[in-house]
Amino acid sequence: MLEVKNLSAKVKDSDINILNKLSLKIKPGEVHAIMGPNGTGKSTLSKVIMGHYSYEVTSGDILIDSESIKDLDTDERAKKGLFLCMQDPTVIEGVSNSEFIRTALNEKSEEKVNLYTFMKDIEKSMDEVSLDSNMLHRSLNSGFSGGEKKKNEILQLKCLKPKYIILDEIDSGLDVDSLKIVSKNINNYLKENKETSVLIITHYPRILEYIKPDYVHILSNGSIKTTGDMSLAKKVEKDGYGDYNE
Amino acid sequence: MSKEIYVLDNNESKDYKYNIEEDTIIYHFSINGSSNVEINLNKENINLYYYYNNINYDDNKLNIKVNHNKDNTHSEVYNHGVNVKDNYLTYNVEGSVLKNSNKCICNQDNQIINIRNGKSTIKPNLLIDNYDVDSNHAAYIGKFKDEYLFYLMSRGISKKNAYLLLLKGFLINSDSIDLGKIDKFLLEIERI
Repeated sequence: MLEVKNLSAKVKDSDINILNKLSLKIKPGEVHAIMGPNGTGKSTLSKVIMGHYSYEVTSGDILIDSESIKDLDTDERAKKGLFLCMQDPTVIEGVSNSEFIRTALNEKSEEKVNLYTFMKDIEKSMDEVSLDSNMLHRSLNSGFSGGEKKKNEILQLKCLKPKYIILDEIDSGLDVDSLKIVSKNINNYLKENKETSVLIITHYPRILEYIKPDYVHILSNGSIKTTGDMSLAKKVEKDGYGDYNE
Repeated sequence: MSKEIYVLDNNESKDYKYNIEEDTIIYHFSINGSSNVEINLNKENINLYYYYNNINYDDNKLNIKVNHNKDNTHSEVYNHGVNVKDNYLTYNVEGSVLKNSNKCICNQDNQIINIRNGKSTIKPNLLIDNYDVDSNHAAYIGKFKDEYLFYLMSRGISKKNAYLLLLKGFLINSDSIDLGKIDKFLLEIERI
């Protein structure tokens, strides 16, 4: 289970908390969505869970299976099974996509990943996310369109097989067809890995039509204001966030 | 098909002079050395790609001068250095196009990564004496961005291996480099 317990966090060297005593429990197999207007702390939450260098936890805790990960480095959190699909994946010139994914797989597994097996598996996964296989040999996210970057995040997810997935605005920059491909791959992954916990961060309910959440939370001013089911997302789509702003 | 030249300076300082008369790619690797390089493009319609990759531990300099002596000559110069300690590393990079050399392309891209508090300097100079020239330069001195490390580590890659990936990507800055020819340099990257 992924648990966020009374979590408050701020940008380093500032005095103002962006997250304010936020609590959330995501049990195995559950899909939670966090919605909210711009600037309420949605992406901050995802980055703080992943241990981003810009943020500092001022109180509270983050736990995986009742064990605190708050003081772990980002790579150690990932090794515990956390995976953040980023809103704007980083471009790194010179580091090839294949070398990056293979290094990550080698760190995860005790034995070095066999090159033939790796190539065979990844080409199948690339086909499933509709990414051209030559993108494997290009620099990481370099020259990729917005949609290709998001598909590349899903490709990494499929390779690394995490237990706790955070999707930070995975729908932004995706056309309808790409959104369907991305959602289909995530849904297939969840079918094959039923114990996976998912946190979807989004402005809009559109993605939730494709990946059905068990719970929808509305975030305002760094804490959860209300929790409901898909009907809450539909209400927000109709009425906006006005009722939940402080 | 271009002519390929591989050079490895291992703890030594050297002078090089090339008189180029055909399409040429020069891969110059340097471990802790200074270099003076003069390249003359002496035939019309030829292309030069020059990749200088350098790991630096002491005070060192790269002086490189590319002279476009003929029409329609094209140079792309990429200088990448990693300054490991707190020493001086200086790149003087000069592209020169003569008045009677028409339609030349003269570009340079210079980058130095300071691992600690190295005192690095890049002096890009373009001496262009002709109106019909395409010429650019770029220079960057700094560290690897924190967001690079965060992204790599967010996939479970340790900080040490994340740095290694970044260093290799930075110092092996062309897909066409034959890694079998630079094994000493590859070993040195792992020692940084």
